[in-house]
Amino acid sequence: LTVDSRQDAAVSFSLDGDRLEGSAGDTVAAALLRAGVTTFTRSIKYHRPRGPFCLAGSCGQCLMRIDGVPSLPACRVKLEEGMECARQNAPLGADADLLRAADFLFPDGLDHHHLLVQSRLLGRVALEVARRLAGLGELPSEVRLPVRGGLLDAEVVVVGGGPAGIAAALAARRRGARVLLLEREARLGGAALLDVDPSAPGTAWVHDHQGALAAAGVEVLLQADAVGLYPNDSASAAQGPALLAVRHRPGLLAVVAGRVIVACGGVSQPLPFSGVDRPGVYAARGLLGLVQRHGVRAGRRLALVGRGQELRNCARALERAGYELAAVADASGVEARDEGIQYTTLERLRARGNPVRELRIGEERIACDAVAVALAPAPLHELASAAGAQARFSAEHEGFPLTVDASGRTAVPWLFAAGRVVGAGGGRAPDSGIAAGIGAADSFAGGAP
Amino acid sequence: VSEKAIVCACEDVSLGDLDDAIAHGFGDVESMKRYTGLGTGPCQGKSCLAAAVRHCAGKARLPAEAQVPFRSRPPLTPTSLAALAGLPDSIVRHRDSPLLPPPARTGPHPLEPREALPGSARVVIIGGGIMGLALAWSLAGNGETDVLVLERGYLCEGASGRNGGGVRAQWTTPTLIELSKESIDFMGHFAQELGINIWLRRGGYLFLAQDEATLKRLEAGAELHKAHGLATRIIGPGEAGELVPELDTSRILAASWNPDDGVVFPWPFLWGYADGARRRGVRIETFTRVVGIDVEAGRVRGIRTDRGNVRADRVVIACGAWSPFLASMAGVTLPNIPYRHEIVSSEPLKPFLGPLVSVLGGGLYFSQSMRGEIVGGMGDPAEPPGLNQTSSLRFLTRYARALLELLPRAGHVKLLRQWAGCYDVTPDHSPVLGETPGVGGLLQMSGFVGHGFMMAPAVARRMAAWMGGAQDDLFERYNVRRFAEGRFEKETFIIG
Repeated sequence: LTVDSRQDAAVSFSLDGDRLEGSAGDTVAAALLRAGVTTFTRSIKYHRPRGPFCLAGSCGQCLMRIDGVPSLPACRVKLEEGMECARQNAPLGADADLLRAADFLFPDGLDHHHLLVQSRLLGRVALEVARRLAGLGELPSEVRLPVRGGLLDAEVVVVGGGPAGIAAALAARRRGARVLLLEREARLGGAALLDVDPSAPGTAWVHDHQGALAAAGVEVLLQADAVGLYPNDSASAAQGPALLAVRHRPGLLAVVAGRVIVACGGVSQPLPFSGVDRPGVYAARGLLGLVQRHGVRAGRRLALVGRGQELRNCARALERAGYELAAVADASGVEARDEGIQYTTLERLRARGNPVRELRIGEERIACDAVAVALAPAPLHELASAAGAQARFSAEHEGFPLTVDASGRTAVPWLFAAGRVVGAGGGRAPDSGIAAGIGAADSFAGGAP
Repeated sequence: VSEKAIVCACEDVSLGDLDDAIAHGFGDVESMKRYTGLGTGPCQGKSCLAAAVRHCAGKARLPAEAQVPFRSRPPLTPTSLAALAGLPDSIVRHRDSPLLPPPARTGPHPLEPREALPGSARVVIIGGGIMGLALAWSLAGNGETDVLVLERGYLCEGASGRNGGGVRAQWTTPTLIELSKESIDFMGHFAQELGINIWLRRGGYLFLAQDEATLKRLEAGAELHKAHGLATRIIGPGEAGELVPELDTSRILAASWNPDDGVVFPWPFLWGYADGARRRGVRIETFTRVVGIDVEAGRVRGIRTDRGNVRADRVVIACGAWSPFLASMAGVTLPNIPYRHEIVSSEPLKPFLGPLVSVLGGGLYFSQSMRGEIVGGMGDPAEPPGLNQTSSLRFLTRYARALLELLPRAGHVKLLRQWAGCYDVTPDHSPVLGETPGVGGLLQMSGFVGHGFMMAPAVARRMAAWMGGAQDDLFERYNVRRFAEGRFEKETFIIG
């Protein structure tokens, strides 16, 4: 691991009882990587070593017990002085977990449905063993009483403060709607802040538009993470047909909305090749964020695999961020003609070592400090589709963008969407946001509310 | 570390596991999720769904464009019980006017099979839930193999795939006690009979009483159970606390405890019957919608589907909460009323909870699954009737508040996914079985009020025998005509 020299104050914490030092402003994941720790947990079934992948709170590979609370995403928890972190699912220690034998006993996978079905007695033994091995974290150490939440409402609620969300919020506000913009992070900008795509709005665009939000009178709530979107079936239904559950420290806010515009972007996802789950394989965008926010790099030499334009954009961005690229491999199944990019298939890829020190592409062995995966972020359709919006698979968008009409409206009358979540990320995000913002504001009976 | 290619890191699902699922006929991601565990961990499929769809496109020859993403289950990211319990009271109060249903899918399902249905079958069973599948297997075991089962979605799409897996013999009517006893015994050797594990874990059922009236009901129940050879007994808060150390026993008066009750894993229970029935020659067609039932001169003649018509002299309606809708296609009115019941699953925790715990009066229940999740639900007295399978924030808040009162150490535990299913509620909380008065050959197998899942083996065995000509007064006593005649078979141990 390499670390930019920084002036930040040291923060002392512990891992499995050993004292470590991080830096003020670190997440737990950043602090552990800074300290050279790459195995964060043992996996649930095979006890394979696991480390962080997405570094953005979506993948579930970095769950740890932190201050007595099980399965918290280390990449989302801010490091605090004296924090006690523990690796889970490793009764004999995460570095030498004997239960990893399960990984070798079932080399291709585990068909638990048909395991030992012949014998009632063996079945009972299997049941007892499986029961004892199941689960990830232990119960929380302490009683936690309900944390009092709050209630907000707005005519238009925009979920996501990236370019699409910012544009949508501005457009809806300019049409007269009372707008609340929810952003998960402590600052606006979303994916634009990584400056991956040269043709898309970047940090400069975000700075230019931030002032416009305040001037227009858009209410912005930072560190507000929408975790649920429901048709409003509560007593507050007269205030709006939609109900959001929004995590906003320390508790949850219920937000009643007349219209909702989902502009929550996408999430990094891995590619299913052998060894992709090993410590030392990261999402390319996760690594970029790690450098940008914490000045931490996963070594110097990266092997980068991915598909399409995102692979090429990430290659350039990672080089700008100080990485040396040992290989750039396109696994899209299409012959790549770009200089410096090699063609491969998933079947030919193998990441080896713990943490990963080698990427094999067929017979070729590429020495590296880490492997990065660059796929266009998968549209985060789940929030909207749980509320009834439709999503259809798109290979180009690496997932399921939401289906919307020209005004950004989904199949649910009060629900709109914009940006990457509808397959209009990057350079198309602002226009997509404007359409949804106008669509939402104008959809109130009689035009602007 | 072995060479396997992991596609779902949360649940350690490999590409080999996906291939195995495809080989067993689970090539659509909704079924694949249930068969492999893909997408059921802390990330809830955000990292694996697209990769699985691409893999299926190559291996199962299922075009990616035909795949419907598996149904998103709130919350988007794991959310703690303590935070949910603290939401304002206005969220918990019901709106006055009913909610409009969500937009329904129109046209054929993208995965609807292309091949034609048979022109006729001796028995058509509408509904590929646990009742219909168990009946098909039992019929075929008696030699009646010309059976066609029709399911409008994937296997497990209805209530049989949406319940908490609880199985118990603690009932207040002798018939239900006997049906459950036989069924749970059968579950004990289901793997040997049907070749798939359902992971029956007999951790017991602990019914809590928080008031004198409930305690009286539990005591009366325990007396009856004793007469039927069950091990049920009434225990005090101290003993309840030994069984569930995390329980705040200051909130209970006493409990009814039966150590032989338990929990199964619902999905393989259906798949086992489906596979077994297929091996015996039964045809099971998923993603196929029944649109009509033909009746002539007081007898059923066949059914119509969106894939063509099938002639049959015997048609069984085993559609759970949808049964009244199907019966209406034959001009028959059933008294069953659907009610939504919501349920939620937590993050996977190391084992700490043996029994399924239920508060009989308040409708809360929870248990720990074989995967370590706390799976629980809670009835809602204000729930309006209707075929509603949407999830609500109100439920999460009510459940979180009720659970934390009993299990205060769970405050930091996070919920991973919520869903809903429909209870099929009859006026006396007992099933509707047997031949429909006035429509010969139209057989009813519904009205199980959320507990059909745990009685299916025995009900199906007896129904198959009765259809083969055996005498069984079950199908007279529970005939739908009892409501017109004013006879009721009142069951009172209903959760929720």
